[in-house]
Amino acid sequence: MTSPVRTRFPAESTRSLQSPGIVSARGLSQHVATADGILAILSDVGLAVKAGETLAITGASGSGKSTLLGLLAGLDQPSAGEVFLLGQRLNDLDEDARARLRAGRVGFVFQSFQLLPALTALENILLPLELAGHPGARERAAYWLDRVGLAARAAHTPRQLSGGEQQRVAIARAFATDPEIVFADEPTGNLDADTGARIIELLFELNASAATTLILVTHDDALAARCQRRLHLVAGRVA
Amino acid sequence: MNFLRKGRCAAAGTPPAYPLRVIRLGLWLLQRERASGEWHVLLLALIIGVGSVATTGFLGDRLKRTMSEQGASFLGADLLVTSPRPIEVWPALSIENSAPKAGSLATSQALEFSSMVTRKDVFQLATVRAVDAAYPLRGTVRIASRPFAVGTPRPAQPPPGAIYVEPSLLSLLSASVGDEVQIGEARFRIAGVVAEEPGQLGGVFGLAPRVFMRADEIERTGVLQPGSRVTYLYQFAGEPGQLAAFGTALKPRLDSTQRLIGSREGVETLRGAFANADRYIQLTALISLLLSVAAIAVAAHHHALRHYDQAALLRCLGATAAQLRSLYAIQLLALGLLGSMLGVAVGALMQQALALLILPEAATRLPALGLAPVGAAVASGLLALAGASLPALMRLIRVPPLRVLRRELPPLPVAAWASAAVSGSALLFLIAWYAGDARLVGVFVGALAALAAVLILLARLALLAGGGVQRMAHGPLRFGLAQLLRHRFDSTLQLGAFTLALFLVALLALVRSDLVAGWRQQLPPQTPNYFLVNIAPQQQQAVAAYLSQHRLQASALYPMVRGRLVSKNGVPIADTLPEDARNSNTLRRELNLTWTATLPANNVVLGGRWHGERHAAEISVESGMAERLHLAVGDQLGFQVGDQTLTARITSLRSVKWDSMQPNFFVIFAPGQLDALPASAIASVYVPPDAARALPGFVKAFPGITVLALDKLIANIEAVFAQIIGAIQLLLGFLLAAGMAVVVATLLASLDARRQEAVLLRTLGAQRAYLAKGLWSEFIALGVLAGLLASVCAEIAMALIAERLFDLPLRLHPWLWLTLPTAGALLVGMSGWLTTRHITRVPPMQSIRALN
Repeated sequence: MTSPVRTRFPAESTRSLQSPGIVSARGLSQHVATADGILAILSDVGLAVKAGETLAITGASGSGKSTLLGLLAGLDQPSAGEVFLLGQRLNDLDEDARARLRAGRVGFVFQSFQLLPALTALENILLPLELAGHPGARERAAYWLDRVGLAARAAHTPRQLSGGEQQRVAIARAFATDPEIVFADEPTGNLDADTGARIIELLFELNASAATTLILVTHDDALAARCQRRLHLVAGRVA
Repeated sequence: MNFLRKGRCAAAGTPPAYPLRVIRLGLWLLQRERASGEWHVLLLALIIGVGSVATTGFLGDRLKRTMSEQGASFLGADLLVTSPRPIEVWPALSIENSAPKAGSLATSQALEFSSMVTRKDVFQLATVRAVDAAYPLRGTVRIASRPFAVGTPRPAQPPPGAIYVEPSLLSLLSASVGDEVQIGEARFRIAGVVAEEPGQLGGVFGLAPRVFMRADEIERTGVLQPGSRVTYLYQFAGEPGQLAAFGTALKPRLDSTQRLIGSREGVETLRGAFANADRYIQLTALISLLLSVAAIAVAAHHHALRHYDQAALLRCLGATAAQLRSLYAIQLLALGLLGSMLGVAVGALMQQALALLILPEAATRLPALGLAPVGAAVASGLLALAGASLPALMRLIRVPPLRVLRRELPPLPVAAWASAAVSGSALLFLIAWYAGDARLVGVFVGALAALAAVLILLARLALLAGGGVQRMAHGPLRFGLAQLLRHRFDSTLQLGAFTLALFLVALLALVRSDLVAGWRQQLPPQTPNYFLVNIAPQQQQAVAAYLSQHRLQASALYPMVRGRLVSKNGVPIADTLPEDARNSNTLRRELNLTWTATLPANNVVLGGRWHGERHAAEISVESGMAERLHLAVGDQLGFQVGDQTLTARITSLRSVKWDSMQPNFFVIFAPGQLDALPASAIASVYVPPDAARALPGFVKAFPGITVLALDKLIANIEAVFAQIIGAIQLLLGFLLAAGMAVVVATLLASLDARRQEAVLLRTLGAQRAYLAKGLWSEFIALGVLAGLLASVCAEIAMALIAERLFDLPLRLHPWLWLTLPTAGALLVGMSGWLTTRHITRVPPMQSIRALN
């Protein structure tokens, strides 16, 4: 912490200095009311992820992987249990306070890319930077577009990009704000095997160089194997 | 860590402050989405709606400002007294008394009456104003040497032997400046045309063009006979204090037929009357804005639907609800301002067209565009936009961030009452603003709700019928109709909006073409088509001889005395009436009183007994007047005729057929009561077309008699009617455009689903032509249905108007049933095809990718 002045864009590695337990959960449960009664999607899940760690949440479809990811990222509130994100107890925060906590500090990569169709590749990366009020946002976005090898496609809209290219833009967007943690939901789910493999390479390479904590949901064993740790869910419980 | 983050920011400069950042982001996203269809529709609808209210707003403001800026010059004086009789005695502070004092009242006297103006064989009824040298005391009269020239300020009193005329009289008489014309028995030279005079905005309602002559030359014309209808105008100008004292002293001396008008109240009265008319026209314009609201609401709703993902992503990336709210609000505000300003620009152009339509002569003299209507129009636009799109916006900011993981998650519901309250209050405020008073708001909202209910019902019925046709149809038509029925809500809205627009346009066209013509047609042949007025007693025999010599069929000659009803059973008439009946026109003007022993044709005695030959103080009263003034057989009425008071008992009540074109009277005396009073006679005459040559001879032989050509009068009324309806039709153009905007907005909202379906059909082997035919069938069916519904509505409305208001027989309009569906098919077909055409052109592969 002695030197706040860093190279202009990313992010080599002061992350190791961060406090342990960047994300943790205790007794996490999620129930929904259905016509047939209460359905338990998650039951009594606990975990702790240290800064800079990579964690794969695996399990079959419907095992509660994405629900867990949503709860950890503060996108939803649990029925029971506690979640801590970036040193804050999410249960104590309302929707807006959780949003403020995420701004600029949490990155996301989605299965369906979630790029805004009206914006170009560059502008999609620019969006979270503008939202968080980053200085030099445009240069930063251009830098990250270059990092994912799409500098030449800056002015293309998502519609003009292939699936793999779209996911690269999404990854650049996730890392552009220099987040402390990146959540990835089935990042290769919509891609063919080759493209998926290249996306995994990119994701882990960027994650390593930025020393970001990475939590990803997947049912792809190869992808899970790249992570330092693995949390396997069966019917909403840690197996 | 916090330190690190702050340090990072500081190293590269300070980011913009939060509100600015959100505004910037909102505008940036808006700018990136400028190509989106919803924004276009929203903007277009706003331009149409605001354009409509701005058009009437601008023109109304210009007219109102003309009135107030002219102030005293509008009246031609500071104080004006009008009277049907000369006023001989003035209050103590009268002109003579105050003349030696400084600042005494300046005065001017004028007479106004109707008379024939003849040139060669052409004659025309004119309103003659005979003025003295001082007229007008305030304001300017401009006289020009040819029509429509600017003219120079000059006294209104022409040189001896000359007159000034309104430009329209020149064309009516085929005359030009310098020509000689005859008024009564005197000849005058036309010395100039009146380019401007106080109080005149231009001849909208001038049925008889104005002529200025010298007051001292009236006698030479011999036009004014005892009993002639004349208005005496007394103008005063001077210091406010003196005027006030004079007015206060004069007021109690005036009876209800005489009026005292101060310059301020003169303008106020006129402005009040104008404000009412203006308000109704503004409400017409408001309908277009409200229809635009429907288009905006559909577009905004669809825009919100398409942006749930965007909103969820922004939430996920850390945007708070407040930030999202500001972001979308700033987008809406930017669009609202842009659309409203463009609408104002459209309004600024259209108001000039409207001005030329209703005030062809005065349009150039109106003041420049004002700023106030700009504010009003922009505020209306923003309010309409807010009312239409806030519910959608409210849902948009309630999107849960979890939607990024589970796309099926809908936004949290917004309580229906909350959306309804937001929209409802915005729209109600808008209506209240334009309608002005609570009663009108109630009427307008009620009428609107009833109309909407009827339209929805009709649209639903029409769709049911469409379903029947669909089952029997084949190929693309079946496909097209199926689309129409599937998007039932959209189709109802489109049908309703378009039916409303077509219906109102058709109704006005029918009123314009039908009513007057229909009424004319149903008059029996040989209905009198001329009135002869102001026949002096000594002329009566000569007139009768002339008419029979030329075989002209005339009514009886009725002597006419003008008098005022003042009392009933010895009590002042006003005191016998409830508050709301006291303002009756019958009490405010002088009545034409006649006497005859024979019950006039077309009159039927409803109560009591016709007096016949009985020479007694008895009268017969028209039943409508009796009802209005609470009169019954046996009542003793008092009349003021000149300086005499007469009383007579009602012995019968009559019905009168007012459109019989015979001289008709409210009050008929038994013979012997009025004989001694100065009277002129009136008669109606039927002049067949081939005998029309006899008329110039008649006017030459009896120059003092006023010949009223009913044909011309009706034609004049028709022309005025056409002008007003033309102006409203211009506004209905906006309504039609708003209807098209609704169609486009609803189609855009269903475009994704349609594209998906088209892709599927093309993949399954449907040809492009098949899809195109399907689309055309759908839109043409929609347009035809709207046209048919509008025809039904227009026929019903016309039948009601014709029967209730004009007592005309029911008549159908076959051309309507052809024109409206064709127009509907064309307009809806065009807007529909333009909106959806590309879904048939995109190759399936590309479409499938686009959908993903």
